[in-house]
Amino acid sequence: MRALDKKLFRDVWRMRVHALGVALVLACGLSVMVMAVGMRGSMERTRAAYYAERHMADVAVSAVRAPERIAELLEEAPGVETIETRVSGVALLDLPGVSEPPSARLVSLPIEGRPRVNDLTLARGRWPDPARANEVLLSQAFAEANNLVLNDRLDATLHGRRQTLRIVGIANSPEFVFVAAPGELFRQAKRFGVIWMNREALARAYDLDGAFNDAVLLLGRNANQAETIAAIDRILEPYGGIGAYGRDRMVSDRFLSEELRQLSTMAIFLPALFLITAAFLVNIALGRVIATERSNIGLLKAFGYSNAAVAWHYAKSALIFAAIGAFIGSAAGIALGRSVAELYRDYYHFPSLEFSASPATFIGAWAAGFAAALTGCIFSVLKAARLSPAEALTPPRPTTFFSAGPTLSRFEASLDAKSRIIMRRIVRFPRRAGTTALGVAFAIALLVVARTMPAEMDYLLDVNFGVANRQDVSLTFTEARDSTVLHQVERLPGVVYAEPFRLDDVILRHNGRTVHEAVFGVPEHARLSQIVGRGQRVMAAPATGIALARALAQKLGAQLGDEIRLEQTRGRRIATSVRVTAIVEPMIGSSAYMEIAALSRLMREPGRISGAHLRMDTSRYDAFNREIKEIPGIAGVSFVGQAEASMRSEFEQGIGVMNFIYAAFAAIMAGGVAFSAARITLAEQERDLATLRVLGFTRLEVSYILVGELMALALIAIPAGLALGTFLSIWLMQLFQTDMYAFPFVFNPAGYAFAVAFTLGCVGAAAMVVRAGIDKLDMIAVLKARD
Amino acid sequence: MINAAPSDQPTPLFALRGICRTYGEGQTAVRALIDVNLDISGGELIVLLGPSGSGKSTLLNILGGLDRPSEGAIQFRGAALTGLSEQALTRYRRQHVGFIFQFYNLIPSLTARENVELVGEITDDPLDAAEALELVGLGQRLDHFPSQLSGGEQQRVAVARAIAKRPAVLLCDEPTGALDVKTGVRVLEALQEVNQRYGSTTLIVTHNGDVARMGARVIRFGDGRVRSVETNTARVQPSDLVW
Repeated sequence: MRALDKKLFRDVWRMRVHALGVALVLACGLSVMVMAVGMRGSMERTRAAYYAERHMADVAVSAVRAPERIAELLEEAPGVETIETRVSGVALLDLPGVSEPPSARLVSLPIEGRPRVNDLTLARGRWPDPARANEVLLSQAFAEANNLVLNDRLDATLHGRRQTLRIVGIANSPEFVFVAAPGELFRQAKRFGVIWMNREALARAYDLDGAFNDAVLLLGRNANQAETIAAIDRILEPYGGIGAYGRDRMVSDRFLSEELRQLSTMAIFLPALFLITAAFLVNIALGRVIATERSNIGLLKAFGYSNAAVAWHYAKSALIFAAIGAFIGSAAGIALGRSVAELYRDYYHFPSLEFSASPATFIGAWAAGFAAALTGCIFSVLKAARLSPAEALTPPRPTTFFSAGPTLSRFEASLDAKSRIIMRRIVRFPRRAGTTALGVAFAIALLVVARTMPAEMDYLLDVNFGVANRQDVSLTFTEARDSTVLHQVERLPGVVYAEPFRLDDVILRHNGRTVHEAVFGVPEHARLSQIVGRGQRVMAAPATGIALARALAQKLGAQLGDEIRLEQTRGRRIATSVRVTAIVEPMIGSSAYMEIAALSRLMREPGRISGAHLRMDTSRYDAFNREIKEIPGIAGVSFVGQAEASMRSEFEQGIGVMNFIYAAFAAIMAGGVAFSAARITLAEQERDLATLRVLGFTRLEVSYILVGELMALALIAIPAGLALGTFLSIWLMQLFQTDMYAFPFVFNPAGYAFAVAFTLGCVGAAAMVVRAGIDKLDMIAVLKARD
Repeated sequence: MINAAPSDQPTPLFALRGICRTYGEGQTAVRALIDVNLDISGGELIVLLGPSGSGKSTLLNILGGLDRPSEGAIQFRGAALTGLSEQALTRYRRQHVGFIFQFYNLIPSLTARENVELVGEITDDPLDAAEALELVGLGQRLDHFPSQLSGGEQQRVAVARAIAKRPAVLLCDEPTGALDVKTGVRVLEALQEVNQRYGSTTLIVTHNGDVARMGARVIRFGDGRVRSVETNTARVQPSDLVW
């Protein structure tokens, strides 16, 4: 090994505390990067392979009743390669020992062979015997959530008829990786599942012998999807076709894409903060090294080392820091990725999901780490390169201080000498002070983000369940029924109040744009399902015209007063125009709203309702549940209160883990920055601090100068950190925003206070550790030594 | 053993008996001071003379409460200095001792005035900073930072800082070691002025034999021992010193 390299390793060893600080901060960022990028790649590959292997549909369509012979026409439509017609429906289930009836989507299996589109993976058991009408496959998530195993029986109310089904297999489908009940945006594995059963049995139950009401299609490689969809819609129009759609509107795929998008956001956001901080730390550490190595630099140059060789020598130490960080980060990223993959595997039931990060991911992470380190050391290294040997061999001039401007001078005059020392150092070395303050500000910002996100989610749930959906239970009928049914519903045990609603699937058109959405009809002064307007205030349903969710209005390019086109996708297929009379702000979903009677009139079905929201006497749930299972014509019962409770508890668990991770990251960041800054302050001021001790200042008084400087910088960092945290929270919420969720920014004072207190605690702890150095100051050496 | 000549006053400012200082243990032990006995009176100006490693600085450190003797006892104004706690030694330095170092040791971020005021903040009845700086001839440079002052000026600020607390004892370790003759003389003049005006007992450590000529007593060190203690009958003014 060359002598210079030996020196390099000894220098790095001497700086090991700084090196470790830089490496840990880098490792935090790079581990998230490796995890998120790797996870995204793994998920994408898994999804692609799963879709390809199981022939995930490119296009899906529903109809009211299409004769089977139409399938041939569909198969001949341009671009269509394979078609699978199916019978599909939603049924209420009665599970032994489960009081609240869950519901399930029923999907038919082909009469012969396996599905050619949206094929299944059998996790356990066998395929149903075509000769046995009651044998079914059950989706794995639902089976596991309800502890259902092979050969268990469950009762289902199919189209008003009760049937007992036997589970012969547990399966998964690419079509239902993410499963949510119709109209629901949250997954509740316990409450909604998928049942695959024999086509003939299902067709019989739904009076669809020789017909289908659902089709899934694979397109050829060069197919034009829009063209195919238009052709399918034309063919199915006479049969109540509801409008074919591509993967972009398939709920499961949309959720997966959303998850992937969030991983991408995460791959950028957190690593960026940490890489910047690491660069700053390198800047501080190398700046100090080069200041103390001044005479060595002169010596090396005097021996004949070139400027470039000297620069490279010092840059290498930064690269060693980065390599340590990248190594720890890569290992931690793999570990993190594996545990996240396990979570995803359990959650989504992919047949296989192994975390694997591509070499490119690691190369990217290492490159990012090296880039951060090189950026951090560039100024110091260039300074070393530029130093002339003659100058480097002379002792450095004492640090020059200047009087501050008149305003600062007045302020300085009011301080005691120790505070003045602190202030002048901050003003004299603004870059370093700024670096430390910024690192601390980043930690505060990180915690503000971590504490704001749950507050926002909480607020979203508060508004959704406290204002927009105040019902305890929602009943959905299999088809629109006369409003007199409401009286029957009111007589069910435990029902305190019933509020009707109407739901129409429509195509909205405006300015050449088309959006498939739902229009909700609610009573003008609804008490349960209320419309949320600006500032989360309750609004009356518009007596005339239609209210659009802001996201929907944006998609349509529609504004208040615009006339938009509305086309019913089922039933009479009414097409009409309606004026936009309100823009509303539901935080969940992006629907349209009308007054219920107005909507019924518009759809020429006066007095018909799709379901009812109920306020319940919760003590009578059991009686209610017993009766509801016997009533035909109910497609689903949604227990909103339970959904809220389970959502909140699931959410809080997640938050607990997230808060811990963010707090650990923030502690590393704030602690690392403060520790590094404190050690350098101590090294630089060692002589001054020892002088003060000799002059008779106590340890406490001298410690004040060291700890005070850090705390002053931390105080400066507070407003910056809070502002940055607020900005990042708003930005992140916008990134996470979809048509399904619109997050408002929620100011969470307790979160802000925590962010500040926790960070100050970390800075204080780091300062106290370094402060111990003051006790070891060699006062005698100071009498003799010269810098 | 060479005993110091007894001073005129009944209770000396410092009374040192059998002071030894050994660094390290066993074979590597270094005996920096060996059996020093000395009485020092209030207001004396003593020059401690000797080559490097002779023990004079070690004695200064012990007198200043920066170091403790391995053996022996020191009394300051009749009270034991040996055996004091770390806090008590800090209090002792704070109240009674002024230090002047070879390399000035000013706080670079404070002006001349502020460096002097710094000491005022931990003392009950300090001298006015401007007055102290006036005394050392720096009345015109109150608001200059150390980097804006010459070495001699910096050392005179250090003198002003040391006397601002009206110390009972002024300990100067090679105060002219880093200065040329002209500036060195100005610093010594300042020290003498302070000694005469405020009566601070002043101990100047030097290896410069010429400086010894200004001291009332000259204590010579060699190999950790006091080799001689001489009373100077023909003291010269600093301005008459040449080296």
